[in-house]
Amino acid sequence: MDIKKIFKKGENKTKSDKHYLSGKEVREIAKANSKEMRRLEKEKNRKRPESEYVTSMRDDGNILEIEDLHSYFFTDQGVVKAVNGVSFDIPLNSTVGVVGESGCGKSVTSMSVMRLLQGPTGQIVNGAIRFKANDFKRDKNGEPIPVYEKDENGDIIYDKVLDKDGNVKTDKDGKPLLKPRQKKDSAGLGVYEKEEKVFDIAKTPIHEMYRIRGRQMAMVFQEPMTSLNPVFTIGNQLDEVTLLHIPGADKASAKARSLQMLEMVGIAMPDRVYASYPHELSGGMRQRVMIAMALAGEPRLIIADEPTTALDVTIQAQILELFNDLKTRINGSILLITHDLGVIAEMADYVVVMYAGRIIEKGTAMEIFHNPLHPYTQGLQKSKPTMKSSENELFNIPGNVPNPINMPDNCYFKERCSKCVKKCSGDYPEMIQVSPTHFVACHLYGKEN
Amino acid sequence: MLKYILKRLGVSILILFGVSVILYVLLRCMPVDFVRNRIMELQEKADGAVSEELVKKMYETYGLDGNIFEGYYSWFTHVLRGDFGTSFISSRPVISEIFNADRMGTSFFVAAIATVFEFLIAIPLGITAATHQYSIRDYLVTILVLIGISLPSFFFGQMLKDIFANKLQWFPVSGMKRAGWKFPNKFAEFIDYAKHMFLPIFTVIILSIGPRMRMTRTNMLEVLNSDYIRTARAKGLREGKVIYKHAFRNTMIPIVTGLAGLIPSLFSGAMITESVFDLTGIGSYALKAMTEGDIPVIMTYNMFLAALSVLGVLLADLMYAVVDPRVKLA
Repeated sequence: MDIKKIFKKGENKTKSDKHYLSGKEVREIAKANSKEMRRLEKEKNRKRPESEYVTSMRDDGNILEIEDLHSYFFTDQGVVKAVNGVSFDIPLNSTVGVVGESGCGKSVTSMSVMRLLQGPTGQIVNGAIRFKANDFKRDKNGEPIPVYEKDENGDIIYDKVLDKDGNVKTDKDGKPLLKPRQKKDSAGLGVYEKEEKVFDIAKTPIHEMYRIRGRQMAMVFQEPMTSLNPVFTIGNQLDEVTLLHIPGADKASAKARSLQMLEMVGIAMPDRVYASYPHELSGGMRQRVMIAMALAGEPRLIIADEPTTALDVTIQAQILELFNDLKTRINGSILLITHDLGVIAEMADYVVVMYAGRIIEKGTAMEIFHNPLHPYTQGLQKSKPTMKSSENELFNIPGNVPNPINMPDNCYFKERCSKCVKKCSGDYPEMIQVSPTHFVACHLYGKEN
Repeated sequence: MLKYILKRLGVSILILFGVSVILYVLLRCMPVDFVRNRIMELQEKADGAVSEELVKKMYETYGLDGNIFEGYYSWFTHVLRGDFGTSFISSRPVISEIFNADRMGTSFFVAAIATVFEFLIAIPLGITAATHQYSIRDYLVTILVLIGISLPSFFFGQMLKDIFANKLQWFPVSGMKRAGWKFPNKFAEFIDYAKHMFLPIFTVIILSIGPRMRMTRTNMLEVLNSDYIRTARAKGLREGKVIYKHAFRNTMIPIVTGLAGLIPSLFSGAMITESVFDLTGIGSYALKAMTEGDIPVIMTYNMFLAALSVLGVLLADLMYAVVDPRVKLA
């Protein structure tokens, strides 16, 4: 080889060598990124009036509507479009499953919903996430309005106010002082009036998010082994949620509530677990604690990000059963993220299939499992081991997910697809409605076909 | 727990014995011979007429007549009886030479105050640098701290002296006390002492902030990227609470245990800084003893530091068990 040629700048670099970036290119990317990141951070921290982020739902039956969500990561190698135009709804009292292989943007979608993307590199660039929150109704001073107990006639019950010695306090005229009796829940915590309010999470300022996270929507992460703080007891971490979100909660009532939650998730000795540290519990126990923690704020939406991935199969079954059981107990919905089709089949009402940051097919669980349309969904179904099949080797979809930085303009699945048509080399396919609930993004099902 | 501590103390004694052997052998191999220097001095005075007998007697008086093993045996048996020997230079008992208010006291005063300030400054700096990673604040702190790490103490001390003592005359140039001055009261005396101590302490603080701040920043970043911090955020905790409750406790684990390891440095003195500012601290004293080959002083000084180091390590391990519930000592 001609030695001079090697040292000549850029001469030995071929166009196909996309994994190699020169220092100059990296600097250019970093410069453009930092400009964009600064703009987005500034936009995020901007003070905004409530009218900008309080909206209304498109369909009142939904609890969450994600519309054209774009979440990007600005890395030095280029912009990773982890979520690239995702839209789906979560109806009230339902379980929506999001499936797809690793790195297709499932977790980033869920993190975007909680606004937990690690800034400044991770940013929601575009789109709307409308969430119907069920927050405390507040009076003019921002104090929550309590619910009072009523007798049979519908009148508010009043209690006499007692002083320290147990004597009835009286006013100037000698009449006993009266106080309305606030309703208490089973853990002894006061009940307050609630109202529904729709937030556009993508635009909500962070101080409002503090009230929504943990209270309105809670998250169960995939790594129970590392998701609990090792230096605090389970009790301490559980109480925190109650103390933070329930007005009027003190240490004793928070503890009572935490114990109740632990019992609810099927922990046999709540007292012992309450006092122990995370490392003293098994993986399954920790995941139960995480679920208890998610439940403590009485959320409307539980996001379960691969809740069973790190657990062994028997524990997996128990945890899934627990989720199924919870669905009937909480007045809300579950967003279940997993790459396990078996879990989805068992749990979900609606299924969203993601590939390389986009939704390629969505529909009811029935539709997705009995009538998969997209070649990728069909491939996923085929690659699931079954008891009946006599083949020794499992089916696998050939090839890999394309490099997330330089996505092609055509269908992302084209290179791996076995059913390609001419049109596949064209634009990215639009979402095509096949039935009232079933959508697919594939050229095979266009009008011409 | 008690059993563990006793076991560790037993091991410590063995370690200290090993340290003393190595130290003594190294010292005797040093190219400085106190007795020979003394004889040369005598020779100069007496014009070269020093008898063989006198030479032999001198070595005998200083206990350096035998070979290394005999020397060590003699030192060791004396130490067992609680006798650390007398200094070659001043002929006073080593213990009172080292452990007095002027030497150990001065060094401890400087080091203790410097350490407190080091922690008070470095930890918040490290935390802000970590929580605002890659921001201007982070780069600024990192650059300033890097300058602090890279400055040699003799240069930085001299520079401070030149600016604040010579040119601006805010602080005295060197020494510990204003010479030939009668203080009206204790308070005035203290103010004078503090003025003399300010520049050396400042030098030590600036030079030691760096590593501690870097360590805090690294730990904090590692903790902030962990899953349980994400859990804490997902709970709806405010960022301040996430950092100062959930992240801080975890960041403190290595820092608190590092604190125990600082114990020897509190007593070892800052050799170069003390020399620059003419302080009579233990550091500059030990340096002098080293260059002149004062074996009993160096042995005692180093053995004291070795004992403190061993205790510090033990203390660090005990601290681990206190701050980290996952650690159980057995």
